[in-house]
Amino acid sequence: MTHSRINSILMGLLVALSIIWLLIPFTMAALWSLVDPSQPWTADKLLPPAMSFYRWTNMWENSSLKSALTTSYTLAPAAAVLSLLLALPTSFALGRMSFPGRELAKMLCLLPLVVPPFITAIFFSSLLFGLGITSWRLGSIVLAHAVLFLPYGIRILTVSFEQVRQDHIDAARDLGASHWARFQVAYLPALRPGIFATLLITFIQSIEEFAIAFIVGSPDVVTIPTLLYAALGQDFVRPNAAVLSLILVVPNVGLMLILERLLKSANPTLASGKG
Amino acid sequence: MTARRWLQVIALLMPGLGIILWLIGSVVYIAVAQSFGAYGLTGESSFTMSYWADTVSRAIYWRSIQYSLYVGVLSAIFSVALAYPLAIWLRKPFPGSMAIGAVLKAPLLVHGLVAAFLFINLIAYNGFLNQLMQWLGVWDAPRRLQNDNHAIGVLILQTWKNMPFALLLLTGAVQSIPEDILDAARDMGAGPWDRFRKVIAPLTVSGMQAALVIIFIGAVADFTFQTIAGPTNRQSMSQLMVGYKVRGEWQYAGVVGVTLMLMALVGSAVLAFVSRMVMRGRLT
Repeated sequence: MTHSRINSILMGLLVALSIIWLLIPFTMAALWSLVDPSQPWTADKLLPPAMSFYRWTNMWENSSLKSALTTSYTLAPAAAVLSLLLALPTSFALGRMSFPGRELAKMLCLLPLVVPPFITAIFFSSLLFGLGITSWRLGSIVLAHAVLFLPYGIRILTVSFEQVRQDHIDAARDLGASHWARFQVAYLPALRPGIFATLLITFIQSIEEFAIAFIVGSPDVVTIPTLLYAALGQDFVRPNAAVLSLILVVPNVGLMLILERLLKSANPTLASGKG
Repeated sequence: MTARRWLQVIALLMPGLGIILWLIGSVVYIAVAQSFGAYGLTGESSFTMSYWADTVSRAIYWRSIQYSLYVGVLSAIFSVALAYPLAIWLRKPFPGSMAIGAVLKAPLLVHGLVAAFLFINLIAYNGFLNQLMQWLGVWDAPRRLQNDNHAIGVLILQTWKNMPFALLLLTGAVQSIPEDILDAARDMGAGPWDRFRKVIAPLTVSGMQAALVIIFIGAVADFTFQTIAGPTNRQSMSQLMVGYKVRGEWQYAGVVGVTLMLMALVGSAVLAFVSRMVMRGRLT
């Protein structure tokens, strides 16, 4: 058998696999979200007998969806901006200064990624208890998200800072540029894609984060993932869970495709799915 | 380096690395302290081994350890075992290989909870899979597939979600093998299996270790897949820990948390070591 023949057979297999892998699951979810309550979708019917956007409008008007969306989309930008501000000085030090122990410092920055999320969540809430600030839930979640996702920002921005060219900085200085002007002409152009990528990755991670929001936030703060978790467990209504799943997945896929672009332009070697 | 320069570096590291060390350090410290009865949140706090002694005498603790290790190790192995042949197949670009890569990596973009929903929707009592099997005549009646006792559902979910990650790491590793080396092996009469065993495997072992370890750490600490799709007569370590926390038994949550951290640490080391032995053992 020739190479191209093998490949075409494998291609066929793969089309089949991708149908099982992605197409069927998502089609089923989309169909379930459109089931009209007037006629239930029973096992003997291939398609829902009555389809409408009733579930979508109903969820929008009569569940905590609206407040969950507001919370998630307030938390995420706040965490993203805070994380960026916290990451910048460290990235500057790691990217532009050489000092003994720099590699160790880079490694230690990855710590939040290796501690299991529920351990962080539970003992972070313990810490909040100890500090007596348990009522400050939203702020605590913003802080925790900003710190937990710092490794991404630090890594991306360190590379960006490394790419700032010394001769540009020197040239700006020789031409008498002030600190701020030097930052604008020499640093900012090299940093811009990294800054956007950091904001976006922290934003996405924060929208998706479950453990902290669930442990620290419950019962007052409801985010989209915690609402979906409840919809999958204690109050399982299949069409509602389908609506929530689609609301969580669709915008994020779009955002992540943008992120992939940004990462490629910030640093080709960093381009990798979730970063 | 001058003292002034050092101060500068430390001041710059404080808001980023400093706050990471503060937060993660506090979390680990509190977990350990609470497991020994210290850092009490409700009144008394004193150093005692009794929470450890109490926990290790409970059958549920050992069952959870066993169960979490089972899920963690198998998820890591399945993901890597599936990703390897795909990475090798996609090593050289051919028409459509980009599209295939994109389809295979798509689960990276899907939230775990959404994945769990998609899955239980498919395997529901009157869901797609049951209907298909009945239509094909394989099964006479629908079967209850959700929350199966062997955690097959959890393993499928973990593999679906993590295989793309392993693929990402392995594709990078496999693509970095120079073509000449594989040609040389081929010229010396090595078949596909020998080429894999003697050339590709040893040269990609560090990428594979990274994939194994990262997937293992995630899966051993799983909470959501377990509570949604896992067996109802077993608890994962995270689930057990959350259970204690919800009942306000922080000290027991501490014991389980510390155990989980140790499992992640020791388990990764063992997995990395064993995989290196298996992959390299035959070379020398």
